[in-house]
Amino acid sequence: MIAELGHLLAFLALATAAAQSVLGLTTGGEAPRRLAVATGMFLALSMLTLIISFVRLDFSVALVAKNSHSLKPIIYRIAGAWGNHEGSMLLWCLIMAGYGGAAALFMRNDRLRDRALGVQGLLTLGSLAYLLFASSPFTRLTDPPLDGGGMNPLLQDPAVALHPPFLYMGYVGMSFVFSIAAAGLINGQIDREWAKRVRPWALTAWSCLTIGIALGAIWAYYELGWGGWWFWDPVENASFMPWLVGAALVHSLIVTEKRGGMAAWTVFLAILAFCLSLLGTFLVRSGVMTSVHAFATDPTRGLVLLAGLGVAGGAALALFAWRAPKLPAGPEFDPVSREGALVLNNLFLSVGAALVLLGTVTPMVVQWLGEIKAIPPESASLSIGEPYFQLTLAPMIAVLLLFLPLAQAAPWRKADLSPLVKWLTPAIIVAVVAGLAALALGGWGIWLGFGVLVGTWVVVGVGFDLWRRVGEGGVSRVFRLPLTVWGMAIAHIGVGIFVIGATVETATRTERTFPLAAGQSAELAGWTFEFQGVRPVEGPNYYSTLADVKVTHGGTTEMIHPEKRFYPVADTSTTEVAIRKTIGGDVYVALGDTIRDQPGVWRLRIAHHPLIDWVFGGAALIAVGGFMSLVARVRRRAPVAATETPAEEPAGEKAPAGVTA
Amino acid sequence: MKAAILIALLLQGGAAEAPLADTAKEARAQGLMRELRCVVCENEPISQSTADIAVDMRRVVRVQIDKGASDSEVRQYFVDRYGQFVSFRPPTDGWGVALWVFPFLLLLGVGGLIGGRMLRARKRDLTPVPDDRSNEPDA
Repeated sequence: MIAELGHLLAFLALATAAAQSVLGLTTGGEAPRRLAVATGMFLALSMLTLIISFVRLDFSVALVAKNSHSLKPIIYRIAGAWGNHEGSMLLWCLIMAGYGGAAALFMRNDRLRDRALGVQGLLTLGSLAYLLFASSPFTRLTDPPLDGGGMNPLLQDPAVALHPPFLYMGYVGMSFVFSIAAAGLINGQIDREWAKRVRPWALTAWSCLTIGIALGAIWAYYELGWGGWWFWDPVENASFMPWLVGAALVHSLIVTEKRGGMAAWTVFLAILAFCLSLLGTFLVRSGVMTSVHAFATDPTRGLVLLAGLGVAGGAALALFAWRAPKLPAGPEFDPVSREGALVLNNLFLSVGAALVLLGTVTPMVVQWLGEIKAIPPESASLSIGEPYFQLTLAPMIAVLLLFLPLAQAAPWRKADLSPLVKWLTPAIIVAVVAGLAALALGGWGIWLGFGVLVGTWVVVGVGFDLWRRVGEGGVSRVFRLPLTVWGMAIAHIGVGIFVIGATVETATRTERTFPLAAGQSAELAGWTFEFQGVRPVEGPNYYSTLADVKVTHGGTTEMIHPEKRFYPVADTSTTEVAIRKTIGGDVYVALGDTIRDQPGVWRLRIAHHPLIDWVFGGAALIAVGGFMSLVARVRRRAPVAATETPAEEPAGEKAPAGVTA
Repeated sequence: MKAAILIALLLQGGAAEAPLADTAKEARAQGLMRELRCVVCENEPISQSTADIAVDMRRVVRVQIDKGASDSEVRQYFVDRYGQFVSFRPPTDGWGVALWVFPFLLLLGVGGLIGGRMLRARKRDLTPVPDDRSNEPDA
């Protein structure tokens, strides 16, 4: 019964979403608000019924039979509900409707909210129609199997259980940013007030996307067993493009909100972010590419997604073309100013997104050209990977980051650079020294030095800017800086830490494969690894080959146990690496296969990943900074929403000239 | 000659994957291993794969580097055998050039356009607006 209930709830959501879109776009008022909350609730309950079916191992539900198994641990039974195409589409609909419901509860009652809920209702309606008529998770089997087919064991991991919800909170969250953009365009109101009300949603979606991508990178690092955290895989790029555009958006929104400038460009980015999310989903789900992440593919899905992208994107761009020419240009500013710096930020981040798009789709286009015989088949295969992006995107972003501390310290409208540069001179010196030291330390080339210089400059420069803002008042004023300033500073410091970590890790990691028989030893990065053999171990739903490796470093000795697991239900093997954390980085050991014709000799892949935690820590700080800016925004606005009167602004920030301008 | 090297290597079977004695050459070899695609794996470079063919390909890289081949000669060796697909570095000749220069042309073109417009419209009499008054566009 429970699956039928879930199915019914999804149909109820379809009805409320339809009503929500019609009433939101026409009459407005209380009705679309209540309907949006109802759509969210119905889908939350519908998701709950699916989770219950998974937890109770109801194998009469086709999706459960295909993707779960009685031997699977409980947490992965829950995560299994969205670890497949149909279930993840339900999660998609739930998050889309969830944003609509949240907006209905938290946004002020006016035309902008009504129409945003209307557009969000349309998007939810489209997604739900696709879910219910083309990929229903609630289909029953007439002849249920005794046990299920299991889940891809690579996905049986805590990071990847949380990865889709966060990624979707980001990806799908951009749908609400899109909806407010469309609503603003319909109303012909893209101004400071509009930007102010978009920003919390853009920050939420973008920060969640940051976390989602980072979780995926962490998972790739320790679960795929090759020690990489980012491989410019098309699936990774698919989430990186909306991230770059989202990063541009949260910055350009500041210009629109504070100064009323860049309105047309900001609304264009708001539309583009969701279009790129849809394009990314198309790339991942349609099967147009083959990659390690593409677990669920079906060619017919691609066309539906493309059609959705065409309709939503086309309609929004038509609205944009209609309204944008009439949007005011905003107040004047000098090229050397905070506004000018944010224009630079947007230029680099958008060109960066275009670059990632080019590098991602070109191999697919070339392959397609070969298939239709437009080019000879021998030249129809192409790979674009790390070397390309390292030589194009990385230097581009590094140049942008050189401006970051200056941009953060520059006043609006017009900046005088010389006092800023003078104030930041110590930071410049520290960064140059750090860069030169990195260059001197080893034969790793100019890129390492440049990356360390840029990262250090960002971290120290942002620190100096904080100090400047504290001013004469002494340390106690540190805690009285506005939360927005802290959010910005922490996110930017995160960027710097990430850049240092990523460059050092990429440039100086060492990895080698050793064929070892029991009793033999290997050495890497000052560590000794004595392979003592393997033994079989049985897990809840897998058989493991567990290696005993004695690790010696600086007089201390310990045992580590890299594993290879075989999951009989899914007929798949996975690698469980053993990682030892040190201050300088990770020591990483993965057990490979035995060697042809030499039983008892195993390949051990041993790697040293310096500063790997800086990569993930930097990403985490970026997300924390984003959430802090969000809290600052919500806290400042909350009293306004409650009483409809201008609230007291925090110290140091004067009330806006016109709250409802 | 090259075929003979390959056969000799294959006959060695599971011999140790010893790094090259020359650290500069070994570093170059490792760099190349990160750029070459394991042809039986899903989107993995040979540096990270434990597949047998990746082991063989790594050996070929080391032998060729040891014999004095340049990075591009090693790349070409694999591209000749497996096609452009084997290299994660797209070609730097022919139409491949467009791929490398397009992003920078885009950056310079759009940047030049915007920068030029801002400079032409530049006014001398603008004054700075500090952060605490940033909410006043007319300030």
